[in-house]
Amino acid sequence: MIILFSGALAGLIHGTVNFAIVEPYLDQAIGIENHNLFESGESEDTPEFWIEYEGYRTWQKSGQILAGVILGVSMGSLFGIVFALSRNSLPGNHDVKKSLILAGVMWFTLYLIPFMKYPANPPTVGDGETIVLRAILYLSFIAISGIGAILFYKLSKKFKNNKKFISLIGYGVFISVAFFVMPENPDEITAPMNLVNEFRLMSVLGVSSFWISIGVILGLFWNRFESKKEA
Amino acid sequence: MSESQQISVSKSGVSKLAILALALVFAAGLFVVGFDNGHIVNFVFAEDGSTGGIDPLVIHELAHDMRHAAGFPCH
Ligand SMILES: [Zn+2]
Repeated sequence: MIILFSGALAGLIHGTVNFAIVEPYLDQAIGIENHNLFESGESEDTPEFWIEYEGYRTWQKSGQILAGVILGVSMGSLFGIVFALSRNSLPGNHDVKKSLILAGVMWFTLYLIPFMKYPANPPTVGDGETIVLRAILYLSFIAISGIGAILFYKLSKKFKNNKKFISLIGYGVFISVAFFVMPENPDEITAPMNLVNEFRLMSVLGVSSFWISIGVILGLFWNRFESKKEA
Repeated sequence: MSESQQISVSKSGVSKLAILALALVFAAGLFVVGFDNGHIVNFVFAEDGSTGGIDPLVIHELAHDMRHAAGFPCH
C-alpha cells in the first residue's frame, strides 16, 4: 500500500510540475499544428474553432495530472519492487538515503540513457506511421539498459570491494554498444529546433522531479512503517 | 492461503504475491499512459462492436500530454 501511495503522490508532483513547465511548449507545438491545418484548408481559422480547441485542451491538460498519478503509481510499483528486493544491499544507513540512491540509479538507467538515444519530442515531430516502431525501439532500449544494469550489478557482487568498479565500466561499455547498434528514430524533426530543445529540457526536469519525489517519499514511508513490514 | 501462512511469507522478506500485484500495476499503468491507442476501450466494449458512444481514443487523449512529457513516442 505505501508503495502505491508513494507512487501516486510522486506522480501527482510529476503531473503538476509538467502542467506548469511542459504545457506552454505543448501549446506552442500544437499552435504550429493548428497553423498547418489552416494552411492546408483542413480547418478554418474561425472563433468557433478556437472555442472548441480551448475547451478540448483544458480537458486534455487535466489529463496531464491524472496521467501523472497513473504513471506514478505504475513506476512507483516498479520502484517498490526493486527497492524491496535490493534494500539490504543498497549503500547508506537510512531508508531515505537508500531509496534516493536507487531512484537515482533507476532515473539514470531507465530514463536518462534511453532519453539520450530517443529524446522526448513535442507534438508535430512524430510521424504516426512510425509510432509502433518507435514504441518498440524505445521500450527495448529501456529494457536493455535496465536488464544490463541488473546483470552488471549481480556481476559486481562477484568482485572484491576494490574491483567493483569493473562492473560499472562493464555497464558503460555494454550500454555504449547498445547505443550505437540500436537504430535511430526514423522521424525527421520539422518543428523549430529551439522549441524542441526547450521542450526536452522541461521533460528532463519533469521526470527528474518524479524520481526525486519517489525516492524521498518512499524512503520516508518505508522508514516509518518498516516495523509493520507492509508492502 | 491461510492468514498465518501469509504473515510468515511477508515476515521472511517480501511477499511474492505483493511483487506480482505490483508488477501487474506497473505493466497496466505503463500501458495506459504510454501506449494505449484505443485498445482498452475497444476491448472492454468488444462484444457488440460498438463502444457505446465512447471515443476509443479517450484514454490516449487524456494521457496524451504526459506521454509527450515523459518521453514516450507519440505524434
Ligand atoms: Zn502526441
